[in-house]
Amino acid sequence: MSLRYEFTKGLWETIPPFRLVLGLCPTLAVTTSGINGIGMGLATTFVLVFSNIFVSLFRKFIPSQVRIASFIVIIASFVVIVELVMQAYFFALFKVLGIFIPLIVVNCIILGRAEAFASKNGPIMSMADGLGIGLGFTISLFVLGSIREFLGSGTLLGLNVLWSSYEPFAFMLKPPGAFVALGILLALINLISQFQKARGGSK
Amino acid sequence: MRDIIKMAVVLTLIGAVSGLVLSVVYNVTKKPIEYQTIKFIKEPAVKKVLTGYDNDPVLDRKRITIGTDEKGNPLELTVFPAKKAGKTFAVALEGQGKGFHGLIGVMVGVGEDGKLLDIGVTSHSETPGVGSKVTETSFTDQFKSLKAQAPIKVDAVSGATYSSKGVMAAVNQAIGYANTFRKEIF
Repeated sequence: MSLRYEFTKGLWETIPPFRLVLGLCPTLAVTTSGINGIGMGLATTFVLVFSNIFVSLFRKFIPSQVRIASFIVIIASFVVIVELVMQAYFFALFKVLGIFIPLIVVNCIILGRAEAFASKNGPIMSMADGLGIGLGFTISLFVLGSIREFLGSGTLLGLNVLWSSYEPFAFMLKPPGAFVALGILLALINLISQFQKARGGSK
Repeated sequence: MRDIIKMAVVLTLIGAVSGLVLSVVYNVTKKPIEYQTIKFIKEPAVKKVLTGYDNDPVLDRKRITIGTDEKGNPLELTVFPAKKAGKTFAVALEGQGKGFHGLIGVMVGVGEDGKLLDIGVTSHSETPGVGSKVTETSFTDQFKSLKAQAPIKVDAVSGATYSSKGVMAAVNQAIGYANTFRKEIF
């Protein structure tokens, strides 16, 4: 159990939402473009890191009967901070992400990490865990968003990258397209894992 | 018993600290949020109706009291002045008129010389493809450089008479404000 491991495990081994299939609601809803994915991912990372740190700091004082309530209050406070700051300084992104910012409160990844990791480990470990999982979530959302943006509107990060007569595959921007893209990515990641297993037999 | 007291104390403390922190953040972000909201919702319309200014009309916005509602609360109107070398030469202000479906909001640019600069529809819920044609330049350009004197009349979009009348009513309301509160605005 090293600091390095706690950080890097979130980037591949337990990368959400592919390995921990948690937090699917924002994953499916906001990934209509790469930049939305980054925005949502970073907002979640911020909340995750700080809620992990504070849950970990207070873990000895919080009686186990009221731990869930306490975690939710801590998480909700950071979500409101993100919401207000984003509204004040990144208004365009705030309008796009809309209702999904307050909904970070009920994102299973955050409560999951608070309960499964931060309430049992020290603040530095918890911070590394939150940072790793959060960045993993950001990368996943960015990749998923970019694929959907590329196919659905023919752009990458808002720039036109395909020929002008390209007929956008608008299906990819609709909710069913989100499921299809997520499913294909999940299948790919599982395929890679299977190869790794078969070749090295390490795990 | 001890457990219950501990639970109550811990939860109360967490709640109190969280409330304190949030109130601080709220106060710090209150001004920027108001600015951003106005900027993103009104600025496109303000930019359309005003030209040739060198200030930030949203930052220099003024609130004027235009009367009271039924309950006696003051009604306020936000005006966006366009300045050049520190001198206001035109303002943008918003009026509302009844369209086919609910109110139509129109941003109206009025010059100091008492002429209309341009108008831009800020909010409406008119029928797409029919009433929504009043937002197009082929209709709104008719208002350009008319004398800012109510009642203003222009040719309506065919098939969208109510929507067109709604826009005219909104423009007339804005002009009414501009003329009545001329002293405060310029």
